[in-house]
Amino acid sequence: MKAIAAPARQSGDNPAARLLPIATTLLAMIISIQPAYIPGYASVAPAFTLMAVYHWTIYRPKLLPPLSLFLIGVTQDLLTGALPGVSALVMLLARTVVLRLRRHFINRSFPFVWTGFTMLTGGAMLLLWTVLCLLDRVVIDFRGTVFRAVLTVSVFPAASFMLGRTQRTLMSTG
Amino acid sequence: MIILGKADQVMFESLRVTVTDAAAPVLDVLSRPLAALADLATRARRLVGVYQDNDRLVEENERLIGWQQAALKLASENAQLRDLLKLAPEPTATYLTARVIANSGGAYVRSLMVYAGSENGVSRGQAAVTGEGLIGRVSEVGSRAARILLVTDLNSRVPVVVQGSRQRALLAGDNSDRPCLRYLDSGAAIRIGDRIVTSGQGGVFPPGLPVGVVASLDGEAPRVEPYAELSRVEYLRIVDYGLADGLPKPIPVGARGGRRAERSADGQQSRR
Repeated sequence: MKAIAAPARQSGDNPAARLLPIATTLLAMIISIQPAYIPGYASVAPAFTLMAVYHWTIYRPKLLPPLSLFLIGVTQDLLTGALPGVSALVMLLARTVVLRLRRHFINRSFPFVWTGFTMLTGGAMLLLWTVLCLLDRVVIDFRGTVFRAVLTVSVFPAASFMLGRTQRTLMSTG
Repeated sequence: MIILGKADQVMFESLRVTVTDAAAPVLDVLSRPLAALADLATRARRLVGVYQDNDRLVEENERLIGWQQAALKLASENAQLRDLLKLAPEPTATYLTARVIANSGGAYVRSLMVYAGSENGVSRGQAAVTGEGLIGRVSEVGSRAARILLVTDLNSRVPVVVQGSRQRALLAGDNSDRPCLRYLDSGAAIRIGDRIVTSGQGGVFPPGLPVGVVASLDGEAPRVEPYAELSRVEYLRIVDYGLADGLPKPIPVGARGGRRAERSADGQQSRR
């Protein structure tokens, strides 16, 4: 099974489609702070933004510049009441790591891409937990982080499918 | 930026309030489809158990009628005794119902955003309750939206009392679903199922607001299961008891002396 996304193409997309990576990452941020009315959901809400960052950094890195990620991350922190800059830091580091390794993920099978995302999620969640523990000077319960990582990895195939379909529909013909 | 946000909370609070206010209408619209779906699911679930619920409610209603009579008798007796003692009347509370439009979305902050702000009369420190009990307090207020810091958040501290034994403690959130009771007497006899209510100390919350029950005694401190299901709150009530002024604002960095000391914790001019 091949990953659903089209090969990376940087040119030829129409101007509206070029905003797609930023728009979907912003949408992912908004979805992640939506109240879901499910018991216990808020603390383990999947990191949808990380999925968008991973996908677009592999397939369209130039259309998701660091500045847009920084602004989306800071907005997320301001809206959620978290320390401003923490999400931005994690997203920018994730982008840097994926950008270095992206050639290994283009046109590879989905399980391979998924494995890559699993490792990225593990690293990102561990980093987030460590930073917040250091800043708050307490050891925060690690179980919430583990559940959130597992849920994020579990939801990734559906998110990746949707992002890939959107990308193919709106961007590949330009 | 992170360090600055940790150090100078005043600057980032105003930025946060501005961003929250700007995003509130968008979040309000976007949260409605999910709320409608959740509502539909709740209705479907209720439909399945409608007969059992009806039987239970009829039986409960009969029991409550008895309690109503007792309560009316006690209320009249209470009023007479207060009159005899010349007790100063407690401030009457005013309520405002607000819709939840966003949550904190992560394991590290426990807060909710509601679509009601200073335009609607919301101010810092007011208690946020549901029908079941206390869920938190208003921590930031914009003109259109406000943030509720939940009792489970790492930064939440609520003075409480164990109903019955009247032992005082501090309900401290740690980002888990069950906040813990700190500063209890070492010899305090506390049991699972004990009711926890606000003590009114500190002047932020009025005394007697139900908070939760003691759910476990393992580990260092007893843990409390809040009455309200914090993840499922769609509407909450913000209660103004006229006590909100008791909550100090964050102290600006370096506001220990000199000119900056003029901005004292309660926002009033300090004496020169």
